[in-house]
Amino acid sequence: MAAMMANPEHRHPFAKTPIHPDGSATVLYQGNTITLGQTGEGNNLLIQPEDLKRVNGFELKPQGACFEDMCIPLTPELTVEQNGKQWFDLCAFADLLGQTYVADTDTQVWSFAEIPAKRESMMVDAMAPDFEVTDRQGNVIRMADFKGKKALIVTWSSW
Amino acid sequence: MPVWQRVYEEINDPNFVIICAAEDTGGEAAAGPIFDAANPTYIQVVDVDHIISSAFNFVNVPSAAWVDEEGRIVRIDEGTYSKVHEISNGDQSIEFGNDVYSPALKDWVAKGADSEHVQSAKTVTANIRKHSDDQLRADAAFRLGNLYRQHGHTEKAEHYWEMARALNPDSVNFIRQDLTLSEEGSAGPTFIKMRDEYINGGKDYYRPLDINAQLN
Repeated sequence: MAAMMANPEHRHPFAKTPIHPDGSATVLYQGNTITLGQTGEGNNLLIQPEDLKRVNGFELKPQGACFEDMCIPLTPELTVEQNGKQWFDLCAFADLLGQTYVADTDTQVWSFAEIPAKRESMMVDAMAPDFEVTDRQGNVIRMADFKGKKALIVTWSSW
Repeated sequence: MPVWQRVYEEINDPNFVIICAAEDTGGEAAAGPIFDAANPTYIQVVDVDHIISSAFNFVNVPSAAWVDEEGRIVRIDEGTYSKVHEISNGDQSIEFGNDVYSPALKDWVAKGADSEHVQSAKTVTANIRKHSDDQLRADAAFRLGNLYRQHGHTEKAEHYWEMARALNPDSVNFIRQDLTLSEEGSAGPTFIKMRDEYINGGKDYYRPLDINAQLN
């Protein structure tokens, strides 16, 4: 029964490689790994405003940072000016949203947990969260794609 | 996996899908052969970052959610075994799992909202584990560790996986996945000790299955 056994041959299968050889920082969010070409200086993650959408899906609009029908008004601490350039402070934005994260500033990697507001419909109304994963055939699988069908979502592991 | 395939074939309903996710940082090398042995036709995912467990606040495998046509969860977070399994350990034989979950699943697919196994939104939301900010941070730490693991930065991987374990000590997934990096593996003395402490501490290793056993 494989599920009850360790897989010692799989313990350390990966060769050592740079985290982001072609960029200056990496963001992890919802299973995506996003490499950023340019970031600002300091302890917070300062990104180019145009990178916000590919980082977490939010778009900067006149009314604020918006995702679907949610718009977060922009506050002064979200924008940082350095060397004549405007940056968007992703850590301050996360704080505003109550989104937790873990940063490894040595290697410039920021890993963000889910935004609580995106989970509210599950916690309050039992609506399934709209996760996105890729299946073994390379198809992108989103919960929302199965509207109109019943679905069993089941997890297991080899370990 | 073969039993889920059999269940899927028996249900044989074009409006029913199984999304079966291996919560496995070992990736395709670890989970792929087990999937392949089952010749599955349902949707198979090798979920190296445990995205699905994270989305539904699962802390152990196997776990599951039933999602209806409107996208509403109607059952969640139980020890989701497709049958009773038996394994040999030396002279001993160990049984685990149950025979009632699959019939309940079939009943739901056939009857929909009229199935006695459909739970109200109130029951479902009560059954969804509530995660603190620290437990949500644990998901972020786990993924960070996994990134380092995939890039061969073993010490950092171990650091962040241990952080994930500390931030969410309820996650059997994180503990056992972390133990796959150890000499003893995920089912050795450390795991047995953790499981005993977990259960003796009054936590549900799996939430007790609330399904009428007469279905069996």
